[in-house]
Amino acid sequence: MTIEAGTCFHCAAEIPAGIDVVEQRADATLRFCCHGCRGAYLLITGAGLDSFYRSRKWEDPAPPVSFSDRFEDPFLARFVHATPEGNAMDIIIDGIRCASCVWLNEKIIERLPGVLQARVNYATGRARVLFDPARITPAAIFSRIAEIGYRPRPYTATEAKRGADAEKRDLLIRFGTAFFLTMQLMAYSFALYAGYFQGIGSNMKLYLQLFSFAVTTPVIFYSGWPFLRGAWRGVVNGAPNMELLIAVGAISSYAYSIYATFAGGEVYFETAAMIVTLILAGRLLENAAKREAASGVEALLGLATGEARRLAGEQLETVDLALLVPGDLVLVAPGERFPTDGTVVAGSSDADESLATGEPAPVEKHPGATIIAGSTNLTGTLRVRCEKGAADSFVARVARLVEDAQSRRAPVQGLADRVAARFVPAVLLIALLTFAGYLVTGARFESALMTALAVVVIACPCALGLATPTAVLAGTGAAARFGVIFRGADVLERLSRVTVAIFDKTGTLTRGTPEVAQVLPVQILTEDELLALAAAVEGGSLHPVGKAICAHALRSGLPFAVAEPTTALPGSGVTGVVGGQAVAAGSYRYLSQLSVAGLPDEEELPIQGTAVLVAVANVYAGTIILKDQVRQDAPALVSYLAGQGIATALLSGDRTVTVRETAAHLGIETARGALSPADKRAEVERLRQEGAVVLAVGDGINDAPALSAADVGCAVAGGTDIAVESSELILVKPDLERLARAHRLARRTMTVVRQNLAWALVYNLVGIPLAMTGRLTPIYAAAAMTLSSLCVVGNSLRLGRR
Amino acid sequence: MDGSLIFLMVLSLVLGAACWIWFLWGVKRGEFDDIERPKHRMLDDDDENDENGGRGSGT
Repeated sequence: MTIEAGTCFHCAAEIPAGIDVVEQRADATLRFCCHGCRGAYLLITGAGLDSFYRSRKWEDPAPPVSFSDRFEDPFLARFVHATPEGNAMDIIIDGIRCASCVWLNEKIIERLPGVLQARVNYATGRARVLFDPARITPAAIFSRIAEIGYRPRPYTATEAKRGADAEKRDLLIRFGTAFFLTMQLMAYSFALYAGYFQGIGSNMKLYLQLFSFAVTTPVIFYSGWPFLRGAWRGVVNGAPNMELLIAVGAISSYAYSIYATFAGGEVYFETAAMIVTLILAGRLLENAAKREAASGVEALLGLATGEARRLAGEQLETVDLALLVPGDLVLVAPGERFPTDGTVVAGSSDADESLATGEPAPVEKHPGATIIAGSTNLTGTLRVRCEKGAADSFVARVARLVEDAQSRRAPVQGLADRVAARFVPAVLLIALLTFAGYLVTGARFESALMTALAVVVIACPCALGLATPTAVLAGTGAAARFGVIFRGADVLERLSRVTVAIFDKTGTLTRGTPEVAQVLPVQILTEDELLALAAAVEGGSLHPVGKAICAHALRSGLPFAVAEPTTALPGSGVTGVVGGQAVAAGSYRYLSQLSVAGLPDEEELPIQGTAVLVAVANVYAGTIILKDQVRQDAPALVSYLAGQGIATALLSGDRTVTVRETAAHLGIETARGALSPADKRAEVERLRQEGAVVLAVGDGINDAPALSAADVGCAVAGGTDIAVESSELILVKPDLERLARAHRLARRTMTVVRQNLAWALVYNLVGIPLAMTGRLTPIYAAAAMTLSSLCVVGNSLRLGRR
Repeated sequence: MDGSLIFLMVLSLVLGAACWIWFLWGVKRGEFDDIERPKHRMLDDDDENDENGGRGSGT
């Protein structure tokens, strides 16, 4: 049977050579990569939901799933809570990648008998399912989600998360209230503006001012409460902040306007209300971006929850992970995650430990080998003796590192805050001096107070307050359009000041999967012949190395027939019959165990990469070297950073030799290998202590502590969710060129912020003396304030162009 | 003239307040919790054939 390249209709993954799972449809033959995918397809089309395949927008294949995880009701029952409408359960659905996934999950779950409602939140990937406990169990819901190829896990809101949700709603209500009232207020204000120019009855003017007063009061004291509180805290701590500036601006124009309402004159209620409303809007948008940041630890701990199959004597029992104690024996099947750190007692297999070490090639596991919690068992069933409880396992330790780093991150004082710290006291001082000066020169108390207040009002930090939020908003908006997400204003600022960039190797600067780098046949064979032989025996393999060889052969257009493997030793190699001859492919150890003739010395093999040796009829035929290739755009990024005067370093969990080679190839100055997640974090902290502003770029769980410890953590998407959630800068696609663009944008944004602040200060420099002399008539003050704000907003909007 | 104007201003305030209460109700019900999904929801095209699509539920 000759096979051809193709991708799975359901999960879009490349179909491994030799796999022939098809589904006949009236108009076409659909091909799948495994029976699980075919099952999912049948389930989806059977439910009449096949429009999923037309509407989904996937650019990359779905990550592999097992389709048949076991779910136990007693375990899941703990996460169910009763509500008036029925029993509810929150489920995190891993693998949601587009709106169609959300739609598919909602429909599939809702069509289960007994499910009352299913709502999936696209932003968080979380489902809330309402169901009738008499008709369906949580395990049945979980199984159905797994059957269509997503990974469900129960969700429990932590106290912190619930607090953050409440805060978000609180902010939204404050903003909504301010917004509605300010709209009302503007109607009255326009009537007053018209009245100023055309004349207005004094009664009418008073009514309008009283109504303005009525609607402004809640805006200041309810919506503006967070600022008032923050300002008070600033005063108490002796550190004038941005909030103090906002509070002074709002309160002074509010107080002045009340005075003017009763004493006669023009009011500035709209200024007071506008400051509060606009700044609240900025906060709301910023919070939306920051919301997910805290969930990284949660996702990480999600890896450490679930069940394990424990051997009690020879009896298998399913237990909650948390109940495992050192010394327990557990059985781990292929495709499962290891529940806790331990030692292999029986069986052999490969383990994907990339999450801990960053090394993409699977590691052979034989009795006596150590196991890392959270890594995945690939090829054979293993018996593992637990060495640690789940609470002390590798993932739990990494989770603690991340949590620790996040809580220790010092709050950064933004540029606007630094300006405010000097500006506010200066304005207050000038106002006080004005007041005192007028009194001393014999002015009436009332006019002295009015002039002093006019100084505060003209110095009202509208432009100053808007300088940063508008620029950041425009900057982050522009970044989002080219696929970079900033979580918060401070990230832009810190990115623009970065002095050291540290990179993870695997999956960040390299592709993260092995690829054929070199084919070294013995003299009687050509490269293609050797590759075809290896591809034939490895054809049925699900091992990443086997897959890479087959993929390379297919790409090179080599015809090869897939041999039936006669023997396969998990983690070592495989033997099959090709053209009547026994062909073996595998590690050096595997071939020497088969006593293959003509094997080279082990030392002669290149140290770099993974070597697959091939033997035909028990005679050595050549070696194929697989390597993790460097991404095409990596050299350009490194040279860009060097051009900007930013030092670069490569920190990896991989072997030091490999790391050095990659660093040298890319022109990275420093390279260190064999680092644990804690080592990486320590290195980041050391650099920070030396005064560097550190940008850390990574994609794996093992990078998460470093990402959260750095000034700017940047996650490359396509990596793990945990890395994404531990960082503040996210590249939506694994395209490093975007990082350079993001850096340029950050610098431009900070330039605009500085221009805005400078403008606001210049405006004040002109306005304050005018106000001090008492020459500034109210309407011109209002016009100048508006003009200044418009300038700032307009300048910021330039960032969104091009 | 003053009386009718004040009446209109109060009326607009009442209308505004009604919208505001509606908004509060929406926030409390969680209408603003997911701002991504609704814009895609209108593109789901299967709602009109739910009757025939709902029957089969598995393989």
